[in-house]
Amino acid sequence: MSSFFQKLLWALRRSQKEDELARELRFHLEEETEERAADGLDQAHARAAAARSLGRVSHVQESTRAAWGWTLATQFAQDVRYAFRSMGANRVFSALAVLSLALGIGANVSIFSFVDAILVRSLPVSHPESLVLLSFRTKRAEMHGRTSHDDTFVDRKVGYGDSVLSYPAFEMFATHRDIFSSVFGFQGAGRVHTLIGNRAEVLPTEYVTGNYFETLGVPPAAGRMIMPDDDQPGASPAAVVSYAFSQREFSATSSALGQTLVIKGHPFTIVGVTPPEFFGADPSALPEIYLPIRAEMLLRIDRYHPVSSDFTDPNYEWVVPMARLRDGVTREQAQAALAPQFARWMQTVNTKRNRADLPVLVIRDGSAGLNGLRYRYSKALFILLVVVALILAVACANIANLLLARAAARRREIAVRLGLGAGRARIVRQLLTESVTLAATGGALGLLFAFWGIRFLTLLVSNGEERFTLHAQFNWRLFACAALLSILTGALFGLAPALQSTRAGLLPALQRRLSTHSASIAGITLSRALMVAQIAISLALLFGAGLFLRTLSKLESVDVGFNRENLLTFDVDAPQAGHHEPEVYDFYNRLREQLAAIPGVHAATLSQMQMLGGRWSTEVTVRDAPDKSTLIMAVGPQFFNTMQIPLAAGRDFEPADIAGAAHVIAVNREFVKQYLGGRNAIGESISFPGDCPRCGALQVIGIVGNPTIGGDVREELQPAVFFPFTVPIIGATNMVYELRTAGDPLRYAGAVREVVRRTDPRLPLTEVRTQRQLIDASMAREILFARLCTAFALLALLIACVGLYAAMSYNVARRTSEIGVRMALGAQQGRVIWMVLGEVLALAAVGLAIGVSLSLSASKLLKSFLFETTTSDPLAIAVAASALLATILLAGFLPARKASQIDPMNALRHE
Amino acid sequence: MSRVELLQGTLDLLILRTLVPGPNHGHAIAKHIQRASEDLLKVETGSLYPALHRLEAKGVISASWELSEKGKRARYYRLTAAGRRSLAAEKSRWESVSRAIGLVLNPAEQESE
Repeated sequence: MSSFFQKLLWALRRSQKEDELARELRFHLEEETEERAADGLDQAHARAAAARSLGRVSHVQESTRAAWGWTLATQFAQDVRYAFRSMGANRVFSALAVLSLALGIGANVSIFSFVDAILVRSLPVSHPESLVLLSFRTKRAEMHGRTSHDDTFVDRKVGYGDSVLSYPAFEMFATHRDIFSSVFGFQGAGRVHTLIGNRAEVLPTEYVTGNYFETLGVPPAAGRMIMPDDDQPGASPAAVVSYAFSQREFSATSSALGQTLVIKGHPFTIVGVTPPEFFGADPSALPEIYLPIRAEMLLRIDRYHPVSSDFTDPNYEWVVPMARLRDGVTREQAQAALAPQFARWMQTVNTKRNRADLPVLVIRDGSAGLNGLRYRYSKALFILLVVVALILAVACANIANLLLARAAARRREIAVRLGLGAGRARIVRQLLTESVTLAATGGALGLLFAFWGIRFLTLLVSNGEERFTLHAQFNWRLFACAALLSILTGALFGLAPALQSTRAGLLPALQRRLSTHSASIAGITLSRALMVAQIAISLALLFGAGLFLRTLSKLESVDVGFNRENLLTFDVDAPQAGHHEPEVYDFYNRLREQLAAIPGVHAATLSQMQMLGGRWSTEVTVRDAPDKSTLIMAVGPQFFNTMQIPLAAGRDFEPADIAGAAHVIAVNREFVKQYLGGRNAIGESISFPGDCPRCGALQVIGIVGNPTIGGDVREELQPAVFFPFTVPIIGATNMVYELRTAGDPLRYAGAVREVVRRTDPRLPLTEVRTQRQLIDASMAREILFARLCTAFALLALLIACVGLYAAMSYNVARRTSEIGVRMALGAQQGRVIWMVLGEVLALAAVGLAIGVSLSLSASKLLKSFLFETTTSDPLAIAVAASALLATILLAGFLPARKASQIDPMNALRHE
Repeated sequence: MSRVELLQGTLDLLILRTLVPGPNHGHAIAKHIQRASEDLLKVETGSLYPALHRLEAKGVISASWELSEKGKRARYYRLTAAGRRSLAAEKSRWESVSRAIGLVLNPAEQESE
């Protein structure tokens, strides 16, 4: 310890130490001289002999300094200082290098933040590593129950899997106390109607078992979490709310405690608030309210499955099960112990599933919660990672090129230093320190870019979604990523030039003229290879962006079969607010009339869901032929008129049809084609024996075109029927209103809210959006990819362009005298320009050729992301190649023009 | 007479031993080792000063500027308490090593004894 501090002290008093050492050695020399003189030599000889015996003073000093320790550190500090000085001396060079690196590192860190948020990060709970998911797999995708959480996985070998069990199965696992210290479950309740004071909202709500918070080890931010006692029949209704909710509604966590929430008409008392970082066990959900799972019996209304049997029916799967392994028990052991038992249990209770394909238990890692988000995004993220890695590669090539140019310019300096006795390793170390310092500066700036990049990406990815669950944020892993990239790239692009510039023999380097020639050969080959690589990579990125842009334009030009412009849509859930059948039908109709009366609203209608909000299918009987599968859509008056869906025959639904629940129906052309032999179908009868046996037959009154129904404009065409929502086929649900407006639909949002509030203040209005926004949301991924890849490709192009410009400029500078001679011998300006441009074009040709073949083989990876676009789209290739060529020519033209303006006299004098 | 090379690490031991009678400066230390070894050992300045500074960093010797007998300012090194302990330990280690090497090199003498 003491010697450590002594060394530290010495390091601080360095100059004094140097001085002391010099004096000490001088004294030694004097003593030695005197001694020699005493032996009888004259003064001059004595001094010379003494000096000889002392050896090289600088050498003695150097090795003594080494004894002080801290040599490496002080040399490093010296090198860094020197590096900054030389960066300052070459401002343009350094600015370009740092900037391109910062852009490259910034892009990488931004994307990595999403990789981190989605693929790497564990749940913010205690000991996430011992959590497991109790999943199952079957050969065929089959679902007997409900789940709002996505943990599906599709594997080519094992088939389909998900994490959802019946409550009895969940209870069976909970008895295995020797394997699990605790088994807990949860399920989403959807967006639930909640009154906070007088104000109505619909909030994402989660049912959780009583031991959910206890097992996860989540400490309350205020109050207490839901406990096993809350999850008993007859317990007083307790709710836990999220931190964000408590802040938003009550402005403080503690003032949320004891407040009452009226959820679907049932009062719940807020007993606690979750910590801010907690988002539930499903990273893709962000519940605002947590209720004991038993509350489900109180709140759920379902006309297809009796709610009372949710907790007893072993064939109704709806609980997402997770567990914490006991200390010392591995996942494999748990799997081996429980899988056979689960298989036997399924055999005895199963009544619904195919006996040959019963679910097989799969215990999976649960440290990061459910995996739906990961499965959905991992491939897209992988592609984006490749893209940003390529950008970084282009940036590295840039800097390596710039460093090569500079190393050539510094050959004399390095040769002189080698000549003065500096070790090669020492010089390589110093050159590496320079490039790493450069990289570190780039990395620091890159972090700043990443800070903006992450916000920008979040904005892009969330696509205006209100409750965006993916929160990429800065953490130590991002800093580590940036630091690692800086050092790695610094070493990578610095090493080759450093080794090359110290390798050459002393003499040729000192003899300047020889050196510029011989030393350049290797450097130029390397530099050309780097430029070709940059061109090839840039082309690949441009081509990728082109493919995504083509896909997007194809998607946007899909004919959806209705007019998507100037249409405002929003969701109203009257049953949740206390309107029941049959009054609710009346209520919906009255609301429609009032909305239609808003000035500027041309027409108003309602439907069971948005045209691009999902699809619902069922079996119908057509002209006594049963089991015809068709999409269904329950609609209100003037539906086709409002949506501007062209009628091929017959008429639209009139208010009287709806109010009277008339037995009328409309079909699309595809329905006529598939089920009615393409004949005029007006007057045909269609019935719904499964959904509404007592409804009887509905008469076809209209035939419409083929409007797109489903979650996406890419949905394939299917037969579809439209009928009055008052005919009890789907029952009373939430409804979507569609308003055809004059001008920007969002301008009417205020008036709409006012109308709804006047009609029923308890009624929350949600999902207020334009139809255009909805359609854009359905192609969010394509829009995101098109935008991101275009941005990244342009970034790569910019970086490569800067690199090419710098490299060509250097080339021209190097050839100044040669060009001067040519011009002195009569070469015209135009010829000189072409000479330089010719070199650029040769490089471009090689780069483009490599780039095209690279792109064509790599683009196969993108196949699943494309729509009506082949992976070798000729237009995308042509546009990418010509854009790149234009940029290259621009980057080459400036140095070429500079070359043509060389004054021969000056150039020769320069020699 | 040819000189012998100093074994790695033994210079430290010799420096410490030289300082036992009292403080001294670098030049005198080198001369003393040379004389005491009957000119068999010559200490190079390139090894001496790094060794002195290393020993100082370890805290086994300390240095101060004093006047030499000829009245010039010289850097004098003296043993510290830690230095004396270190010398004793190193000396006994050296002796056992040299005895061990002797035993290996001259096994016959052993047997005849």
